[in-house]
Amino acid sequence: MKVIEIKNVEKIYNDSEVKVHAVNGVSLDFEQGEFAAIVGPSGSGKTTLLNMLGGLDNPTTGTIIIGGKEINELKGSKLIDFRLHNIGFVFQSYNLIPVLTAKENVEFIMQMQGVSYKERSKRTIELLEAVGLGERIDSRPARLSGGQQQRVAVARALASKPKFVLADEPTANLDSKSTENLLDIMEKLNREENITFIFSTHDARVVKKARRVITVEDGKVISDVRKE
Amino acid sequence: MKKMIWSIAWKNIWRNRVRSLVVIVAVVLGIMGGMLMIGFMNGLIEQRIDASIHNEISHVQIHEPEFMNNEEIEYTINNYDKIKNILDTLNGVVAYTARSKTFAMVQSDWSTTGLVIKGVNLEKEKQVSDLSNFIIEGDFLENESRLPSIVIGSKAAEELKLLNYQIEDNKMAAIDSLQIPAETTAKLDSLPLKRYRTEKQFSKALAAVLNEHEMKQFGKQLINYFSFYRLGAKVTVTISDTAQIMVPITFRVTGIYKTSNDMFDGMTAFVLENAVLKETGFGKDFIHEIAILTTNNEEGVLVAKELQRSLPNYSVLSWKQIAPDLAYMSDMMEFMDFIYVGIIMLALAFGIINTMLMAVLERAKELGMLMAIGMNKMRVFSMIMLESVFLTLTGAIVGMGASALIFALLARSGINLSMWSEGFEAMGYSAIIYPVVSAGNYINIILLVILTGILASIWPARKALKMNPAEALRTE
Repeated sequence: MKVIEIKNVEKIYNDSEVKVHAVNGVSLDFEQGEFAAIVGPSGSGKTTLLNMLGGLDNPTTGTIIIGGKEINELKGSKLIDFRLHNIGFVFQSYNLIPVLTAKENVEFIMQMQGVSYKERSKRTIELLEAVGLGERIDSRPARLSGGQQQRVAVARALASKPKFVLADEPTANLDSKSTENLLDIMEKLNREENITFIFSTHDARVVKKARRVITVEDGKVISDVRKE
Repeated sequence: MKKMIWSIAWKNIWRNRVRSLVVIVAVVLGIMGGMLMIGFMNGLIEQRIDASIHNEISHVQIHEPEFMNNEEIEYTINNYDKIKNILDTLNGVVAYTARSKTFAMVQSDWSTTGLVIKGVNLEKEKQVSDLSNFIIEGDFLENESRLPSIVIGSKAAEELKLLNYQIEDNKMAAIDSLQIPAETTAKLDSLPLKRYRTEKQFSKALAAVLNEHEMKQFGKQLINYFSFYRLGAKVTVTISDTAQIMVPITFRVTGIYKTSNDMFDGMTAFVLENAVLKETGFGKDFIHEIAILTTNNEEGVLVAKELQRSLPNYSVLSWKQIAPDLAYMSDMMEFMDFIYVGIIMLALAFGIINTMLMAVLERAKELGMLMAIGMNKMRVFSMIMLESVFLTLTGAIVGMGASALIFALLARSGINLSMWSEGFEAMGYSAIIYPVVSAGNYINIILLVILTGILASIWPARKALKMNPAEALRTE
């Protein structure tokens, strides 16, 4: 089943007089359950592509269809709502809410979705246990290591039962042990629960684990390799 | 969800403790300033109104309508008995009394002045008016001698030159109680044991023996110390009788009162009702004014309306109509309170805006994340608005608590303005102010504070909403 369809997407920035072709005619499909990495040097258009996939930016031309819905047609609060229910985000610098505990950070997104207290409490505990933080549910981010914070972020991304998780350089700030640990957890969730993960990364360790590697350069896909 | 946003907003305030505390302290001080100002003004005005009502005008007055236009002696209230029946059964009436009210020339041996002479029923008068509590010399018509008694105000006594000054042996013997240096008081021995009829004369005599510095420092104190009212002095009151012939009646001054209103003290004298009747030939219905005390100020207005319906042929006025200046002050009070606090909050709003703006800009990345993962604009806006309201409200509640404490302490002692009391009393205000703040004031301030918090958050919140989540996420 196709989760994401990208058709002839172009993104042009009109910075002063110079037109920048950040993404130049990209077409890609992602199936349910993929574990894919988008790689490429800085300025390759990787981040722009990822922002468009996440509904944070609009393509200049072309269409992006997520779960059968064309998202470039969504505007304002409809788009925000779409992100809330369909896309899970993991950021490079974790971006947890510092005044909330691990549990509250995960629960928060379900509260915005209107999930009942009972159900969201149960799911929060399950998710934090799944990322190995069952013991730290009442800790605030400042009391957790970088790796632990990123695992909370993964649990938060999954809390809304999204169609896929978009992770932007999730391991960039982590040491190798934490990276390994995080990748193992994500891979396990991917294999056992068939959750789709899409990474943008520079990290060789991520590339090694990914089952599909898409290389972008100058706004174009120059290779798309499926392992296995 | 709401609970979570409230909780985040509250916790966010304490992320930068020092910055938030600076704003909170500013709000605390602003609110305290505003509350003290309101308490002081309310106290001043309420005391003025209460004093006027309880010493002078009462809550409701009934007159013959013609008397209101032209206060002539013949416009009397003729069926007091009928009115009495109504008053005895009317709800809200606490007490009432009937008085005669005549303008008269009053003459002492040394001076003359015009006074309003009120002929009162002693027992009933005391139920309606607190004036008998303001007697500073003698008593309130309780003792009659061969001559009928009259009670006058301290100001009228001065005008009739019944406030005299004299260095007396017994006062000189006890002068140590003033705590004035002995070398200064010793100089007073050289003054002649003469009676001075005005303050000016006595002051001049003092200045002749004391140096400039001593006069400045102790003059006022000495003048007060050696002053005395000439109780028992005879005054002649000239009133016209039934035949419009002027009749002089001799009274003995048996009491001096002093209220906080110099104008009233200089204008009104009291005698027993029969004292006027006997000499002028008027009958028992020699009544110009019925004064009514009701359960409270608002009730007074209602009772007046009710009475006017029952007594269409009389003029029935509430205290608000008798003293429109008081009514105006009373009505303006609440509005003025709003203005004071409004101005203070306006000034504070700029501080709050600045703080909230900093809080929003330094959290750009977090706000970007919240919008990216699906927090809608309404929720982002409410979060920032609540943060601003909590910040303001925290300061306001602490400020109000501190003010309430100060009011509790001042309730007993009051704020003493006696340094300037002459000026205040000349305008009819008391020199000791007991600040008053009503529950309504507190509620109004809370509402105003919340409104300020909301308004001050609009700009910072707009700034947050204008952020592009993708860009905000990239800020460091």
